[in-house]
Amino acid sequence: MTKDTHIVKSYGEELQFLNDSIIQMGSLTESLLADSMNAITILDKEAVDRIVQSDKKINEYRAKIDTQIMTLLVKRAPMAIDLRITITALRISQDLERIGDLAKGNAKKMLPLPQNLSADLLKSLKRLGALVESQLNKSIDAYINKSKEIAVEIIKLDSNVNELTYLSIKEILSFLSKDTKNLEYATNLLFVAKNLERAGDHINRIAENIYYLVEGDYYKKK
Amino acid sequence: MDLMTDTKIKISANHLNVFYGQKQALFDISLDINQNEVTALIGPSGCGKSTFIRCINRMNDVIDICRVEGEIKIDEKNIYEPGIDIVSLREKVGMVFQKPNPFPKSIYDNVCYGPKIHGIAESKDDLDAIVENSLKKAALWNEVKDRLQEPGTSLSGGQQQRLCIARAISVNPEVILMDEPCSALDPVATAKIEELIDELKQSFTIVIVTHSMSQAVRVSQKTGFFHLGKLIEVGTTEKIFKNPTNNMTQDYITGRFG
Repeated sequence: MTKDTHIVKSYGEELQFLNDSIIQMGSLTESLLADSMNAITILDKEAVDRIVQSDKKINEYRAKIDTQIMTLLVKRAPMAIDLRITITALRISQDLERIGDLAKGNAKKMLPLPQNLSADLLKSLKRLGALVESQLNKSIDAYINKSKEIAVEIIKLDSNVNELTYLSIKEILSFLSKDTKNLEYATNLLFVAKNLERAGDHINRIAENIYYLVEGDYYKKK
Repeated sequence: MDLMTDTKIKISANHLNVFYGQKQALFDISLDINQNEVTALIGPSGCGKSTFIRCINRMNDVIDICRVEGEIKIDEKNIYEPGIDIVSLREKVGMVFQKPNPFPKSIYDNVCYGPKIHGIAESKDDLDAIVENSLKKAALWNEVKDRLQEPGTSLSGGQQQRLCIARAISVNPEVILMDEPCSALDPVATAKIEELIDELKQSFTIVIVTHSMSQAVRVSQKTGFFHLGKLIEVGTTEKIFKNPTNNMTQDYITGRFG
């Protein structure tokens, strides 16, 4: 196995700092996604402001990570595993930022609040949200442990996200045909489902990048 | 960028062992070098990379205690076979060293020295043409065309190195060996030499020893990593800098070595 320490100690510290920044940004994104799903399902309109603030923080992380990466590239001309750490950090931070944006967008979609909503309406959407949250959680785990096995697991589960999205949309459409008083709210839910699917795609890309980081080659679906 | 198509092997080292007296400097090196490509040899000081390239034009012959076993073929012909004409071998395989080492002669004489002793030029006009052509190929002509009679040593370090490259190519070699050609140069002069190497590979096969993996990435298509006299790993430069197979290679190029 490759040694952990660089001859230039500060180089190793910079890579470690980048690694930590990604994990922190990932955890923030995870909370934001959970918050936004929670806000939608319990109709907590107070949560929107909090979510907007968290998203700002995630964007700040992204900018900070960009600077770290540019400095690393110029100062150290990283090679091999260090190059892969640097490049995948750049890509993963972009995906995390997008997931943050999508989650924020979802939280904003719950207004105007619905009236006398049937509990069944949100059933599939909740399951979809829970699956996407668990996928994101796994991707952070995979990154922390540099585990290609977890990464592959995430990639394989992405088709479930797509199926659940389809189910949710079907459910919402059937609701729309029956309940016209919540037309705007239910239409918004269609966007929520679509956004969750897109968040799933970003998580899938994160997993692919973790695989590349570990293996030095891209994951090929069999 | 497909590096693997239409490549012909120009130089092939097979089970090469080199000894300096009792001490073995190279251990069982087998390495193919493709024609019209730049092959970079990297590794820490004393790893044998310079010893290896000095075997390609039999420069090690001048060291009394040096003994070479195994073979190096250029165009399928073993250059260590008895009866090989070393002068014509060195005409075919030119060399550029770490420190620019122009002769204490004029710029013109530096370049025409080789063609003269190898009897390549028949007339003064021929010589003039070779000098101009070589200096042009070495990207130095425009800077020196009005001062060809000035001493080569009056040029800047980077210009002197390009003069040495012009001198090496003046005899129409097929292979150019470069032993850390930029280590004594500033970044601008280094950039010019690297640019030049990229152009030269169209006409020559180039083997370059460098301490800098970044330089190997910039100029070469294939990279070999040497350590303690052994060739640890060889592959496309892209593969070596993105994802080397051997942990020792990875530790060296990422600065975890030692």
